[in-house]
Amino acid sequence: MKKIIILLVITTMLFSCKTETKKEAIENVTKTEEVIETPQLAIGEFDIKAGKYINKEVQLKGIVDHVCKHGGKKLFLVTDDGDAHVFSDERFEEALKGSEIIVNGIVEEERIDEAYLLKLEEDNIKSHSEGKSNKEQFDSRKKYIQQYRDKMKTDSVDHISNYSLKYVSHKELK
Amino acid sequence: MKMKILRKWSRILHRDIGYFFIGTTLIYAISGIALNHMSDWNPNYSVTIKNFNTDLNLKNSTNVKKNILILLDKVDSRKNYKKHYYPNNNKLKIFLKGGSSIVVNVNKGFGTAEYLRKRPLIFETNYLHYNPNRIWTWFSDAFAVALILFAITSFFMVKGKKGITGRGGIYTALGFLIPILFLIFFM
Repeated sequence: MKKIIILLVITTMLFSCKTETKKEAIENVTKTEEVIETPQLAIGEFDIKAGKYINKEVQLKGIVDHVCKHGGKKLFLVTDDGDAHVFSDERFEEALKGSEIIVNGIVEEERIDEAYLLKLEEDNIKSHSEGKSNKEQFDSRKKYIQQYRDKMKTDSVDHISNYSLKYVSHKELK
Repeated sequence: MKMKILRKWSRILHRDIGYFFIGTTLIYAISGIALNHMSDWNPNYSVTIKNFNTDLNLKNSTNVKKNILILLDKVDSRKNYKKHYYPNNNKLKIFLKGGSSIVVNVNKGFGTAEYLRKRPLIFETNYLHYNPNRIWTWFSDAFAVALILFAITSFFMVKGKKGITGRGGIYTALGFLIPILFLIFFM
């Protein structure tokens, strides 16, 4: 009987030690996770550095200039040095206008190349011929397309990348 | 006999659930009109523009906030200050509480204040129309189910030439025809 009790005590101690080790291991994992921080980019350097972070999460800090009034799912973030667009699947609160926030989001790239511009041009002509856009809108769109072509020619590149952020979360700064 | 019971219950459900959802119908109808014309007006706020001139030095510097607050005392109130930034070297944009904002040309000294005021009732109906949270999603789903029920019960409510086999049927057919024609010609 005495032997059984001693054996039970030893087994209990062993299990409790094992659990402690597990707990420590879990704590270590949690600590490791906490150390991984989302890189924060300055809005002024967003267009330059965003290419390195495509499909990765980054943070941007800025003032909300406005929330798109049509749908409310687009937010324009600004600082003295630049601006960035943040898109979301959910609506942003309009009250965010003028607030300084830190946004976490996934970097997305929109690639503008000759094929893209040809499609834009085709849509512009179609829309105007069907009476969906007036002369002023047609000319403005045409000018916008030409600006991209001129920029690609000046920079000697075959495409221009427009970067934006797909919203994940935000924190308002007081 | 069965038809009589069906007619009776159609009337009861149409009437009583209809009463219950009068408020919700008005919410979606009012905000629906307001949001349908979003490109013609701001459905949530009425906008007032006020132009002004200032001699204050508002160029970008570390202590410019002091002058911004003095400017706000003149054109609004310093209590409403929220944030400011410079979109370019000439322009200062000041954000005020409540969504209003002020833009100043810091070189020439002229500015424009854009004051926003919530449109009473319409602002609130628009807020609900945009489905603000999960509880409202469930409630608006219940409203949508009620609308389907209204459509179904209307088939059986009235008998005779004013019912679905008479004039009611013609109106119903027209109601289907308009969206179908729209899809044919515009889609």
